[in-house]
Parts: sequence; structure tokens; C-alpha cells
Amino acid sequence: MSHAHGPPPEEVIRRRDAEREQPDGRDLTPAVGRRGAPGRWFRRETGARVAGARPAWGDARWSFLYGADTRYAGQGARNGEVAAAARRARGGESVPVPVSGPFLNAPVWTWQVPVYFWFGGVATGSSFVALACDAAGDERAAALARRLTLAAILPGAPLLVMDLGRPLRFLNMLRIFKPRSPMSMGSWCLSAFSAAASGAVAADLLGRPRLARALGASTALLGTYLGSYTGVLLASTAVPLWARSRAFLPPLFMCTAVGGGAAANRLALAAAGVPAGDPTRTALGVVEAVAMTTELALSEINERRLGPLAEALAESRSFRLARWGTLGGLALRLARAHHAASALFLGAGLAFRVAWVLAGRGSAHDDEAVARMARSARGARVRRPRRAGRRRAPTA
Amino acid sequence: MAEIAVHRREPTQRMGFFTDTTTCIGCKACEVACKQWNDLPADELRIGQGRSYDYTGALSASTWRHVRFAEDDAGWSFMSDVCKHCTHAGCLDACPTGALVRTEFGTVVVQPDVCNGCGYCVPSCPFGVINRDPYDGRAAKCTLCYDRLEDGLEPACAKACPTDSIQFGPLDDLVERAQGRVAQLHERGREDAYLYGAGDDPGEELAGGLGAFFLLTRPPERYGLPAQAESPIQQNMLTATAVGLTAGFAAAAVTVASVLASHRRRR
Repeated sequence: MSHAHGPPPEEVIRRRDAEREQPDGRDLTPAVGRRGAPGRWFRRETGARVAGARPAWGDARWSFLYGADTRYAGQGARNGEVAAAARRARGGESVPVPVSGPFLNAPVWTWQVPVYFWFGGVATGSSFVALACDAAGDERAAALARRLTLAAILPGAPLLVMDLGRPLRFLNMLRIFKPRSPMSMGSWCLSAFSAAASGAVAADLLGRPRLARALGASTALLGTYLGSYTGVLLASTAVPLWARSRAFLPPLFMCTAVGGGAAANRLALAAAGVPAGDPTRTALGVVEAVAMTTELALSEINERRLGPLAEALAESRSFRLARWGTLGGLALRLARAHHAASALFLGAGLAFRVAWVLAGRGSAHDDEAVARMARSARGARVRRPRRAGRRRAPTA
Repeated sequence: MAEIAVHRREPTQRMGFFTDTTTCIGCKACEVACKQWNDLPADELRIGQGRSYDYTGALSASTWRHVRFAEDDAGWSFMSDVCKHCTHAGCLDACPTGALVRTEFGTVVVQPDVCNGCGYCVPSCPFGVINRDPYDGRAAKCTLCYDRLEDGLEPACAKACPTDSIQFGPLDDLVERAQGRVAQLHERGREDAYLYGAGDDPGEELAGGLGAFFLLTRPPERYGLPAQAESPIQQNMLTATAVGLTAGFAAAAVTVASVLASHRRRR
């Protein structure tokens, strides 16, 4: 869980003091603070002004020390002087001093998040398999793939709820629809995907094949986002390793999603007694191998591209596990040990996601990398026209 | 409930902080005032860490003002760090619940009764400000004393600052004044003085311009500040989503094509 264990230190003090004898008529509860929220001071009367309230910002207007008659500030800067001074200090590609962080707060996510990413990936891959089997007219495999899709997506929501700091408030995720936030869009997509997957399986059970096919197809359509948004989510942060991989993370996650989905379906088909020469089973074997090979290649290119930034990833044990697992799976496939290969691909997909998510912590704590990313020309410039009037606070 | 009665002041202005490091003496009165007003618990003391006389570490969910110490041979300087209340706020873009909002004062505030602790704002802040409290489970950061602003009072840290290193006011006034201060310092020979987060030319702003900006005399990295910053979502989200959806459709197409081809071969 994401919570620290035991009561917070101030609660210990509060409890200890509560046991002491309190003198009559006096409240000696220690003011040791409360976490998470600013102080909540109740007004004596609703809507009343507090003592010292200044209706016309009298308190806020200006410093009492540095009035206009002091030598604190000049009469105004020469044209462009201030902007030029900032450009001297903040421009340039190299970091001029030894950095002294911390710069970033590390992501707080724990194991639930990468495990959810993996389940979501397998569900996405399975939804594609269902679509493919429907297109090829293999109804039995399609129905099985739809069931696998549902089975893989069901643990997703509980895992995400577990990772919340306040799990009971999970429904707040669906409080607003916010296209700007990948977390919001992901929550909506997960909900819609789960609903469509459940509907498709229900239609199968009720003997409505056309409805099942239609719902299966919409599941696959949602899957194009469900399988890739996890990469978008990581890439849209200030963590150098993730942000700098923005063009690679979504396709990488999509590759492991399809690889995992195809592998899971191949194993399920075999377990259901479909013989080895079955065209769907053969095709899934090809798909999983192609997906995992692509993943390996993209991952290698990205690692080379990142250079020293990729250190946090390369040092991770699960990343090495993922790479060797994938290579081992490909080797086993060549050796015609197909089931073992599929199982290895599934495991490698999980290790890969664990590695990427947990490496974010190390990367966020790498102050050198953060400082360098900010300095580099590609680091922080947004190439888009500024809208006029955005600098002002929106007036109500 | 009484405490959420909002008295809207019309017309509202964007309010902010101007923190002038040339007058900061590192007394940490702002940290104490912030904790007192906002009823935040104390941090564990970190004396004797060997590298710094700074004993409170960093900004966190329960420390909303933190005086950074820059201690080296070039001399000591202090900088009272705080949430920047960015124009393009990464945390605000990231928040999926709408707990983070832009107030009528142009500040960015977490609503503690809405936040469900998803943690996405934490890596989305390019300045490492907002964090999730490990005990409480919700994200928390500086509110620019929203409750004090409603009554026309300046935030607790600015009120407590004995040297007026922390100055509070309408952002436009502050920027103008700070530019005058930079000019004055340049005139006196402090050519290294510059503003971090205000007075930049269009296109060169930090996260669209900061609501709480600083006057610094050393490179930003000395104070743990990035030289350039932007809301990570505004920087990366569209590119990543486009690439991801393309990959998704390609992956679905490859799967369908493989299965179809396999069946055709069989027939």
C-alpha cells in the first residue's frame, strides 16, 4: 500500500497528551498540526469578517519596509534589461554549477500500478485477438478471447483503487471528464472498456452473436487507447526518463500488450483443446513473436537514444529480467517449445512494466539528469503560439 | 458550513509572491508561520546530515515553505522556496478529479475534500512542489493562504518575513517592482541579479509565467530550480497520444491481418 505504516508522529503526541490530566476550564491539547489539509478555522459568525480583515487589500498592497522613498528598487528597468538578465542565467545548454537538488518529487506509485498496466495490456491484446478471430470467422476462438479480455480487465479497477491515497474516494475519478489529463481519460477508458467487455461476454452467454461481435469490436477500438494511454501517462510527467521517451513509451507498451494478449490467448486455446495446427493458434504464435521482437528493438533504440538518462532503467533488475525473458522466449520459439515461449513473453511483459514504472523514482532523484534536461533546447520549449490573456487570472 | 463561505472580491486580481533572495537571512520564520497558520505537523529534525546547515530538507506535503540553503565558497545565500502557482500548472493539468483548481486570485489550490490521492500531480510538477502525504494519503501544497486572501490579509509567510524578502501583492505590481529591484542591483554592480519566473519575453517564460517568482543571483540549479520548465502535459501529451493511438491501430491491424492470412493459407 501507498500509506506509511502506523500513526503519524503528531498523532502519537496528541494521544500521549490526551491521557494527561487537563486542568479545569482550559484546553491544553497540543497544537501539533493536521496533515493533508490547510487549517480549518471556524468563524464565530457565518460570513463575518475576521479580526484585522482589510476590505480593500490594505494589508496586501506593498511591503512596509521598502517604500518608494527607500533605495530598494529603481524607477524601472531599461528596455529588455530584465529579460536579458534572465536569459543569461537560464539560457545556454550546459549546467554552469554543481547542482544541488532535490529538483523533483519522485512518483509515489507502488507495485499496483505496473501490475494494472500489465493486466490492461493483456486485455487490450485479447480484444484485438477477438476482433481478428471474428474477422476470420473463428467464432470459438473469438468467444474465448472476449472472455479473456474480461478476465484480464477485471482486476484493473481494484488494483488502481488500492493504489489511491484515499481508496474510498475512487469514484471521484469519474467526477469530471478532462481530455487534458491522461489519468482522467484513462479512468474513463477503463470504465468504458470494462463495460463493453462485460457486455460482449454477456451477449455471448445469451446467444446473441451479432451483438457480441459489435461489442467486441468496440472493445478493441477502446483498446487502442487503453493499451497506449499508460505510456502517455508516464510520458506526460517531468520525470526525465519518462518524458524523454514520449515517442517510444506508448508503442513499447502497445507491443507488450499485443504480445501478452496473443500469448495468453494461444495458451488458452491450447488449454481448451484446440490442436497444434489450428490456423488461429499458429497466427497468434506469429503475432506474439513479432510484437515482442518489435518491443525489443524499440526498447534498444530508445535506450541508445537516451544515453545516460537510461541508467535508472538499465540498473533495474526487472528490466534485465524482461529483456532476457523476451530473448529466451524467442529462443524457445525457435526450439519449438511454444507454450514455454508464450509463458515467458507474458512474464517479460510484466517485468517490463514494473521496470519502467519503478525506474521513474530513480530518474526523478537524478538531479543531474533533471537539470540537464531542462537546459537542453528540446527540453522545455513549447512550440505553440501563446493565447493572449492567459497570464491573467480568469475573472469570475 | 461557515468556513467555506466565499466573499468574492470584485474585480479579482492575480495575486502572487515576489521572493527576493538578496534580502533573505535564512531565519525560516516563513516556514514556522506557514506551519502555524495552516496547522501543519512539524518535520523530523535533520541535524547532522553532514552536508548542510539546512535542517528542514525540502518542500513536502506538510512543508509548504522551505528555505533552501546555498552554502559554498562563493558565499551563502538563502531562498525561501514555495509553490510557484504557475500559469501553465502541471499539477492542475494532471489532476483527474478536479481537486486542483484555479482560484479567483489566480492561484492553484488543492481541495482536500475532493483529492483521492491518485498521485499523478506529484511527478507532473516540474518544480518538485506538490507531494502526497504518506500518512494522510492526499496531495497537499501551498494555497497562497487562500483563507487569508478572502479576508484581504496577506499570506502568513509574507506577514512573518522580518526582512520582507517575501513580498505579497497583485502580480502585476510585484513584477514591476521586482524589475526595478533588478535594475537597482545592476546599477550597484550586482550584474548577476535576475528574475526567475517573471519579466521574460513571450515564449521564454517558465511554465507560462510564475505566480510566485524569485530574484536570484546564482544559476537556478544552485537552488534546485530547473533552467526551463513547462507543464509536462502541455509539452508531451499530444505527441505521446498521437504516437500511442497510431501504434494501437497498427497493432490491431497486424493482429487481424496475421489471423486472416493464416486462415486463408489453410483453405
